[in-house]
This record gives sequence, structure tokens and C-alpha cells, in this order.
Amino acid sequence: MSDEEVQPGGSDGIAWIPVLAAIVAAIGLADSVYLTIHHLTAVPVPCSIISGCETVLTSQYAEIGGIPLAAFGALAYFLAFSFAILAAFGNRTMWTVFGLQVTLMAIFTAWLIYLQAFVIGAFCQFCLLSALTTFTLFSLFVVSKLRRSGKLH
Amino acid sequence: MPLNRKTIEMKESKKGSSGIPVAIIILVLAVVVIGGYLFYQRSKPAPKANTASPTNTTAANQRPQPNYATAPPGAQPPNTLGSPTATVTIEEFADFQCGSCAAAHPVLKEINSAYAGNKNVRFVFRNFPLQMHDKAYDAAVAAESAGLQGTSKFWQMQDQLFTNQHVWSVSTSYRDLFLEYAQKIGLDVEKFKADMSGMQAKSRVDQDMARGRALAISSTPTVMVNGRVVPYAEVTSAGMRRVIDAELQAAAQPAQTAASTNNSRSNLR
Repeated sequence: MSDEEVQPGGSDGIAWIPVLAAIVAAIGLADSVYLTIHHLTAVPVPCSIISGCETVLTSQYAEIGGIPLAAFGALAYFLAFSFAILAAFGNRTMWTVFGLQVTLMAIFTAWLIYLQAFVIGAFCQFCLLSALTTFTLFSLFVVSKLRRSGKLH
Repeated sequence: MPLNRKTIEMKESKKGSSGIPVAIIILVLAVVVIGGYLFYQRSKPAPKANTASPTNTTAANQRPQPNYATAPPGAQPPNTLGSPTATVTIEEFADFQCGSCAAAHPVLKEINSAYAGNKNVRFVFRNFPLQMHDKAYDAAVAAESAGLQGTSKFWQMQDQLFTNQHVWSVSTSYRDLFLEYAQKIGLDVEKFKADMSGMQAKSRVDQDMARGRALAISSTPTVMVNGRVVPYAEVTSAGMRRVIDAELQAAAQPAQTAASTNNSRSNLR
């Protein structure tokens, strides 16, 4: 029964997985916009025994060519959101594009987590939220593919 | 593969509602842009408040660390630039793997060369590798090992470590990079290698750390001028000059009476 509801492109033409993905991407978008603004307005802080977001956001890894990493994140989430919304309304090509994008995002996020854990030595909770949303988006894509291939057999 | 029911439905729905997803996307973009702009405007006063805070904290920093005079002295002799009898002592506690320390390095370097001719100003570098940085302790030992081959070698290695921080701090073969730097600054590499694993350099680092802990250093870089912590936001070229010049002036006035000179001198030790 639940399998019935789960089918992408149900009777109303809206697939629930892309809709869910759009919502998660919107959360990621809000988070990275917050981080971008936080980055732009943050004052640099020293390396502290008690470390946190400031340490991460003011580290040398928080920018690429002077542009805050979080701004790239915001752009990526906005694209992911757009692709998911288009997919939710039936554009399957967009779902493939979405899948490619979130795969790249997941790989990049894994590297960012590595940086926080082993190089910067501090974790930023909002960056971790972003990691969670990215991995959720990636998982949703994987689940959608598994469901589809499961259905075809 | 023939079109299945779903694909046909998708095509239909795509036709019927192609405007809706675009509308949603534009709406969200508008919300993000407007919301983001409003939030940015609201957050902006934060740095203002922060630039104001140094003036607030200066008051709090008027008094030196209570145990500045009694804290363990750190490595002896310390890594010093300038005259040992200077009336103004800049003391930095730093971690070679800390990004903020690397950022402060050019500032302090500039300050040191600016006051190089002033025999009333001296600079002391203290190692304070933080536990969270896996290579920081070894880097400190590397700097001290270089210092065992001459004071100027210490400063050259210190410079190498800070300017190349982005290279060695992310490298698993960072020890080899240290050897490279040692060679570059003209050290006896074999002696450097031996000193890296010897006790002498390590014990200097440990003594600096003991001093740092006694002074309750909780972050790096911590820059003190005559025992008063300069807030990190003030560790700029202009900020440091302000603090140093104020100290120089303060030191010059009581210098007229011998007693107070002795007093301020003893505070420095």
C-alpha cells in the first residue's frame, strides 16, 4: 500500500521523493544563506581551546578565491531545490541532474567534514546541519533509484 | 522501452503545470534574497559592536594578568627580538598550526621590524601548541630545534612554519617538509633531525606551555604587551602600534623617578 503512494509521479503528477528533496534543499538553502551572512559579518577569532563555528568560518578553508564557501553552498542548494521542484512536477531529466549534483555535493561535504575534524580541529554546528541536508538529499536520490529499479523487476 | 502510464502522465502534468514549479522557484528565490538581505542588515551592527568592544575591553585589560610576574618564566633564554632591557615587552603565545596565528604573523613581523630600532621594545615568542592541532607540537619542536642552531635560525624557521602552514598542516609527510625548511634556511639537517627527537627542544616547548597554562591562555594567538592581553581584534598593525606607543609613553613618564623605573622593570620579568 505504501508502495503505491511511494511511486514517483502518483496520480496527481507529483512525486513525493522530489517534494521531500525540495523541502530538505530549502532547509539547506536557508542554512547556507545564514552561514554566508554569518561569514560576511563575523570577526576573525583566535584558535580556541573551546572551538566552534567562528573557528571554522574564519578558517582559511571558509573561502575560495575570496568568495565564502557558504555562498557556493547557497547556490548549490538553490539549484538542487529548483531541480527537485521541476522533478516533482514530472521533469525526470531534472531528477537525473539533481542526482548528479547532490552526488558531487556529498563528496565535497565529506571533504569538509574531514577538514573540520582533522585540519581545523573544530566543528561548526551549522556546517554539520548542511552536511546532514546534503547527505539526506543524496540518500533521497539513492532511495528513488532503488525504488525504481525495484519496481521494474 | 515503451512509454508506460507514468511517463505519459508525467508528460501531461508537465504540460498542464509547467508554470507552477517555475513560480515556486521564483518565489523561494525572492524569499531567500529578501530574507537574506534583511538578516544581513540586522547582523551588520554585530561587527560594529565588536569594533567597539576593544575599547570596552581595554579598560578591563588595563590591569595585567594577576600572576604575570609569578608565572613560570617559560623557556630560558626565551626566543627574543630586541633588547632584553626593553621597557615594553610584546609576548606572543602561538600555535604553528593555528590559522589565526599564521594570519597574525605578518602583522607582528611588520610591528617587529617597525620597532626594530627602538631599544625599549622587545618581542618574545612563546610556543603554545593546542591539543586539537595534531602537528602543532611537532612544529613547535621544529622551531626550537632550529633555534638550537642559533637565534636567527629560530626566527627563520618560525617564519617558514607560518608562511607554509597551509602546506605542511595538511600533509601527512609534514616531517619531511620540516626537513626541507631546515635545509632551506641553511641548518645542519642531521643535527636538526637529532634535535627534533631530542629532549632539549621539547623541554623548551614544554616550559613555554607551562607558562601559558599558568597565565590561563585559552586561545592562540594570545598577544600580551607588558602582561596585558591585547584583544585579538586589536592585533592589527594600527592596534598594536596604539598599544605599544601607549606603553612606551607610560614607561617614559615614571622613568623620571628611579624607583618607578625599577618597579616597571620588575613587572616585565
